[in-house]
Amino acid sequence: MGRQTHNRLVQRSSISAQTRASGSSHGEQRTPGRTHGGVSEEWLVRHLRPRGDRHFVSRFGLSVSSEPLSLNVSISSAQQRLHLQWSVHNLTHPELKMAFQIEISRIKKSNVIWVENYSTTVQQNQTLHWTWESELPLECATHFVRIRGKEDDTWAAQQRVWSSWSSWVKVDAQSLLGQGPPHIFPIDKLVEEGSNVTICYVSRHNESNVSCLLHGQRIPREQLDTHVSVFTLTNVSFISTWGSNLYCENDPDIITGAEPGTVLFVSKVLEEPKGFSCETRDFGTLNCTWDPGSDTDVWKYPSQRYALFESFSGKKKSCEQKNWCTWQVAQDSQMYNFTLIAENYFRKRSVNLLFNLAHRVHPMTPFNVLFESVSTTNATMTWKVHSLGNFSTFLCQVELHGEGRAIQQHNASSQVDGQYFFSGLAPATEYAARVRCAAKHFWKWSEWAGQNFSTLQAAPSKAPDVWRSVRSTLGSCNVTLFWKPLSKSQAHGEVLFYSVATENQDRLSSSKLFSIPAPANGTELSLDGCSHQIRVTASNGAGASPESVMVIAGDPGNPEVKEERIRGTEDGVSMSWKPPAGDVIGYVVDWCDGPQELSCDLQWENLGPNATSTVISSDAFRPGVRYNFRIYGISPERTAYLLARKTGYSQELAPANNPRVYISNLTLHSFTLSWTDYATDSQPGFIQGYRVYLRSKEEQCPPGFTKAVLPDNSVCCKHDIDNPEQKTFVVENLQPGSFYEFLVTPRTRAGEGPAHPFGKVTTREQHAHALIRIILPMVFLLLLLTVLCYVKSQWMKETCYPDIPDPYKSSVLSLLKPKENAHLTIMSAHDCIPDKLEVVNKPEGIKAQFPGARKSLAETDCTKHDYIYLLPTEKSSAGPGPGICFENLTYNQAAPDAGFCGPVPAPHTAPPGLGDLLTAPGNLLRSLEPSYMNSPGETPAGETTLNYVSQVASPTSGHKDSPPTNSLELAPCSEYRMQMAVPLGLASPSPNENRSLSSMSLLDPGEHRG
Amino acid sequence: MKVLAAGVVPLLLVLHWKHGAGSPLPITPVNATCVTRHPCHSNLMSQIRNQLVQLNSSANALFILYYTAQGEPFPSNLDKLCGPNVTDFPPFHPNGTEKARLVELYRIIAYLGASLGNITRDQRTLNPHAVGLHGKLNATADTLRGLLSNVHCRLCSKYHVARVEVAYGPDTSDKDVFQKKKMGCQLLGKYKQVIALLAQAF
Repeated sequence: MGRQTHNRLVQRSSISAQTRASGSSHGEQRTPGRTHGGVSEEWLVRHLRPRGDRHFVSRFGLSVSSEPLSLNVSISSAQQRLHLQWSVHNLTHPELKMAFQIEISRIKKSNVIWVENYSTTVQQNQTLHWTWESELPLECATHFVRIRGKEDDTWAAQQRVWSSWSSWVKVDAQSLLGQGPPHIFPIDKLVEEGSNVTICYVSRHNESNVSCLLHGQRIPREQLDTHVSVFTLTNVSFISTWGSNLYCENDPDIITGAEPGTVLFVSKVLEEPKGFSCETRDFGTLNCTWDPGSDTDVWKYPSQRYALFESFSGKKKSCEQKNWCTWQVAQDSQMYNFTLIAENYFRKRSVNLLFNLAHRVHPMTPFNVLFESVSTTNATMTWKVHSLGNFSTFLCQVELHGEGRAIQQHNASSQVDGQYFFSGLAPATEYAARVRCAAKHFWKWSEWAGQNFSTLQAAPSKAPDVWRSVRSTLGSCNVTLFWKPLSKSQAHGEVLFYSVATENQDRLSSSKLFSIPAPANGTELSLDGCSHQIRVTASNGAGASPESVMVIAGDPGNPEVKEERIRGTEDGVSMSWKPPAGDVIGYVVDWCDGPQELSCDLQWENLGPNATSTVISSDAFRPGVRYNFRIYGISPERTAYLLARKTGYSQELAPANNPRVYISNLTLHSFTLSWTDYATDSQPGFIQGYRVYLRSKEEQCPPGFTKAVLPDNSVCCKHDIDNPEQKTFVVENLQPGSFYEFLVTPRTRAGEGPAHPFGKVTTREQHAHALIRIILPMVFLLLLLTVLCYVKSQWMKETCYPDIPDPYKSSVLSLLKPKENAHLTIMSAHDCIPDKLEVVNKPEGIKAQFPGARKSLAETDCTKHDYIYLLPTEKSSAGPGPGICFENLTYNQAAPDAGFCGPVPAPHTAPPGLGDLLTAPGNLLRSLEPSYMNSPGETPAGETTLNYVSQVASPTSGHKDSPPTNSLELAPCSEYRMQMAVPLGLASPSPNENRSLSSMSLLDPGEHRG
Repeated sequence: MKVLAAGVVPLLLVLHWKHGAGSPLPITPVNATCVTRHPCHSNLMSQIRNQLVQLNSSANALFILYYTAQGEPFPSNLDKLCGPNVTDFPPFHPNGTEKARLVELYRIIAYLGASLGNITRDQRTLNPHAVGLHGKLNATADTLRGLLSNVHCRLCSKYHVARVEVAYGPDTSDKDVFQKKKMGCQLLGKYKQVIALLAQAF
């Protein structure tokens, strides 16, 4: 096929933005509106200069106009392409260079949208091809194509003329749609991100209200003709590999069920591969890798592919993967020039790589890593490397790791077999060694290959650090030995046991040996006398350590050393001491980590002979805990003697509790506070003193106190006691009878104790003693009077308030005396004419009363009294009542309640002719007498009784305390004694009367009240 | 009517596998014998009813899952894109005899089973990450298969109907992506509508 040229002359379209052709030689882009010439489907977009029309002149001076004939146009709907095929008749030569001009019109022939010149070499009977890609789907409009040609040889430039145009070829893809529902084109279109897309809505009807939406966004519309609407999407963006739905509707309110839609597939832009690199591990295969960037494939159109092209060999290989590819190394090839071609539907990109194979060697991982001649401190590592033929010298790197970190790193040059000698290792230690290698011309290290190994054990290198605690009792010495376990670097293996040898200094022949199995960290010895030398060694599987020697002195030689206080710092507890007069080979400071009272976890620290101070720190130190330290000097004879005692806190705290305070000596103006049982030594800090707070309503503080503000912002008075041993305090100069609140809180260097709770106290009242002097005698006097009254109560009663007042003793009488005669004031019985009788209705329950029992007031209230008026009155004419009373008008008010009357036996009914009877008291008595005599104990309960109520007290009326045998018991609840209706002359009681009354009282003793 | 996809035909062949399978399935002549491979359950109608109720209860959820997975504009244009506009859907007459109703049910279930197979196949490629939709489609297809078998059993055992001529919906394999989505949505809309009617009729 001859050389082809394209020359686009006219580019016209109603959608001008989309009718363009462009491209590039490197990473070229394929866009709609481009043309393809020839039979190949390769994209050959080339830019050529336009040439003017010239007449074709044959080589032989004969002007020939070759007219393209048999123009055939086919459609590729999915690709929106028109394929043109034509042939040239009447060629003047077997092979002739020709130019063709192609015109494409849309909708109508006069609307030319594309004119392109296409040059190629034509042979006899050759069918020529040319392809044009439309930006508008071909179904959207009718297209027309025509072509003309001319000879294009340079030697005949003067004679070149265009042939006549071929006939217009109509391309009507719409006619294939039929009379169905509306359509959208293109269908399932693949576009590149950032490009423009033209969509058309084709309907058989004239629809002018069509709208299309992509993700809910309306797309700008353009009316192409009466039944075709065009929508243009600009700068489309990638949304999903599975495409985006595009939907069109004519009228949103009309549902036809035939609304068309399509899916738009937007592909990302193909990127240039990054990090393109090739290497070999075996000189047989090259492994090339790269970073492809974004994946441009979409689900329906996977088109992203890669290929390797090697220019020296001219070989090309399509890669199956998007990020790596292999290439077989040729035996005789050292230099390689690769081109990696990335390609998808829209673009093509490539990168180059030129290299020498020997410089791209990535050795395989070393293997067979072993250790030989492993001793306590040395080992030899050996390994093998895969052979690379002629390239068999490697640079290797070895690393030794111990306790999780690299402790040695070396480079070693090796052949296929390599080795390295490690020295300076620690005995009985586990190590990890590894090796990696690179080719002599370094490209990449291989992966690491490693192996673990352990060195052999050796005897412990250091004597154990030993200390002791000595308690001597009655000639024997109890020694507790403590030792610290050797560190791993000192033990040189697992310590199996400790040997303790004791030797009596006084009797050298007396020595003992003890073996203490590990992991014990001490032992207790009972020695015969304290003067002993003790030697301790630690042993492992390889031998024993050097001896640790100490001498226990027979004479403790520890004078009482005064304890000094020391302070804790952030670093620990700091202390110092004076060096002793004699020689020392060192010092030991010991202390108990735990609370001494509970368990002394003895700790010690060895110091050199020149040390005079140290800072002791321990993870076990806790704030607020007091620690006691002892400092020993070690003599050249290995004897330890106490030099100093120190006590202190790693960190002092404020007291957590306040002392319990007692109050004493409370006076008008003072009181004493005491907290003598407060233990100053067991506090979380050294007690520096106490602070006394005093709170009262008074604004002024007592002398010695100053104003202070408590944490709760309340104001009070305070007084500081600087002597921690002073545990009493007298608060003076107080106001009598005042209320005070007080608080005693200790102080340490860290602060004072809590500001609560306050105690309460009230000073004595100033006049309290005077009041007591008055009140006490008065109380005594009142008490005496009460007792006296009680003893003489009977007399008092009779004197002050008798049960029945004696009319003769009445004060009324005394008032009348000066004016009138006594006879006029005191009514005589015989002067009394009964005017009415009281009839008492006794309820049945009364009869059931136990003899001698007293009836309550309430019960007596139940007794019903009726009055029968004995004198003819209007009221009495209504009929006789159930009882008869002689109403004493004088005492009418004193006896308002008939219930206080005692029971009197009475006939059931009033006797006949009662009215006559009542005219004379004697008749009345007589008429009543039989009833009294016959009815004792027989009167039924509830029966009406008859009482005579006299206004005259009986001369013999006894007191209620009087024995019943001596006196007549009368109605108990009445201030009047029950009386019999007797003649006026018989007002005094008679024995008979007594009897009858006695029998009456027996009848119902409950009615009598004492 | 186009030939069904390869995934649906084997299923139907299995269900109808007999001598002459693959040929059109006319209603068996009255005097023809009908033998089922396995004895039918005594409470076959009850099972059919339960299966219809089960399908009806899950039909709406399947419909919602489907149109949600398709993305816009389907959820907001259900009446236009997912309306039950299935023209060749087999008819059903609820007032017919039980035999007639069972024959129509058989045709409908066969139609739905085939269409659901197409939808399931399409959705595996169109929405490969819509796992919930795939599961629901498969479960519905399984139930439809069981229902088809039971109806067949009932027709065969009681009415001696061995073959029923069935029709299938259009094959979607050659349709564009939007059409596949739309046809699936319309079919499921129709399915939701019809299965409610069937559950009520039985």
